[in-house]
Amino acid sequence: MSVKKINSPEFAEAIKSGVAVVDFNATWCGPCRMLGPVLEELSEEMAGKVSFYAVDVDDNQDLAMEYGISSIPYVAVFKDGQKVDEQVGFVPKPAIQAFIERNL
Amino acid sequence: MEGRYDVAIIGTGPAGVSAAITAKVRNKSVLLIGSADISDKVAKAHSIRNYPGLPDIAGSELAAKLQEHLRQMEIEITDRKVTMVYAMGDYYSLQIDQEFIEATSVILAIGVSFGKPLPGEDENLGRGVSYCATCDGALYRGKEAVIVGYAPKEEADARFLSELADKVTYIPVYKKDEMPADPAQLFPGIGNIEVVIAKPAAIEKRDGKMVLTTDQGEIISDGIFLLRESVSPGKLVPGLELDGNHVKVDRGMAANLPGLFAAGDITGTPYQYIKAAGEGNVAALSAVSYIDSRK
Repeated sequence: MSVKKINSPEFAEAIKSGVAVVDFNATWCGPCRMLGPVLEELSEEMAGKVSFYAVDVDDNQDLAMEYGISSIPYVAVFKDGQKVDEQVGFVPKPAIQAFIERNL
Repeated sequence: MEGRYDVAIIGTGPAGVSAAITAKVRNKSVLLIGSADISDKVAKAHSIRNYPGLPDIAGSELAAKLQEHLRQMEIEITDRKVTMVYAMGDYYSLQIDQEFIEATSVILAIGVSFGKPLPGEDENLGRGVSYCATCDGALYRGKEAVIVGYAPKEEADARFLSELADKVTYIPVYKKDEMPADPAQLFPGIGNIEVVIAKPAAIEKRDGKMVLTTDQGEIISDGIFLLRESVSPGKLVPGLELDGNHVKVDRGMAANLPGLFAAGDITGTPYQYIKAAGEGNVAALSAVSYIDSRK
């Protein structure tokens, strides 16, 4: 497994069932560049339990608007299509892992 | 230097300088970041009477001696501002503007100059409050934003944001002698920046909008940027454990994140130059052990 880059048209289908972690980011965002590899690692370690996606907010301003995102990286956990938790900004791997696990 | 430093030291007061000297003595590659003229808190001290070997020395003289010591050891000061320190697992990444520099270990020696956050600031950080206009600016396309600038150099960020946002309200809260004589002339030719002279007091979210309360009334916008000279250590290093306003450390100056150490005023009172210098030495030796244990 790895983090799959998706855009608005695929979004609803991607998060529809099970647990999905979505990393809203942008190419110019420093903390996003640091968090990306961490999520990539977690997507391997948590394969089968959680699906990982990445959304570029510049290319998908409608999604950024819909979820009221005013700061990135913004990581949201979805359960069967519903957003259940969010985490804004960079956090080290053990913290982001705990954040995802408590939403399983 | 290309590649990864053994130790990055942030801060050029007695703690940072002492740490840099010890790390260099122990033959580690050192990146020392901070004010090139030594932390100005040192120079401001009228007289220091308890620094062994330097009886009754003026702060400015101590600063000069610290600089001389760095010169002798061939340690350069990198005079740039670290925006964030990221714990990447087996190394640290320091963001300096849009550049990333890697180090195996980090010593925080940044002192305690940061002020208290505004009421409502911490709760809304990342949800309408931001510290970085160049980082989050693109999310304010077509929106209204407030910038509170704590130094004249932040005016550049107001110009940047004005290219994206519909409207920018700029509040300069500079030192007295830096305040603009004619606020209306701060941004000539830019129609969508309004300069307001006011003292920010609190932040709250109301009906999806951000409300900044000031002594001149409320200013309502989509987002508030607070551009300060220095931020608290918990915001500089995500995941860092604090003890009140200070970094929580053990006797070896180790913080909760492996490979991260702190020294000087940032670890708590007493705020003394000699205590800072001593802690810098301990932190550097701990960093050396940490680095060696990983090879």
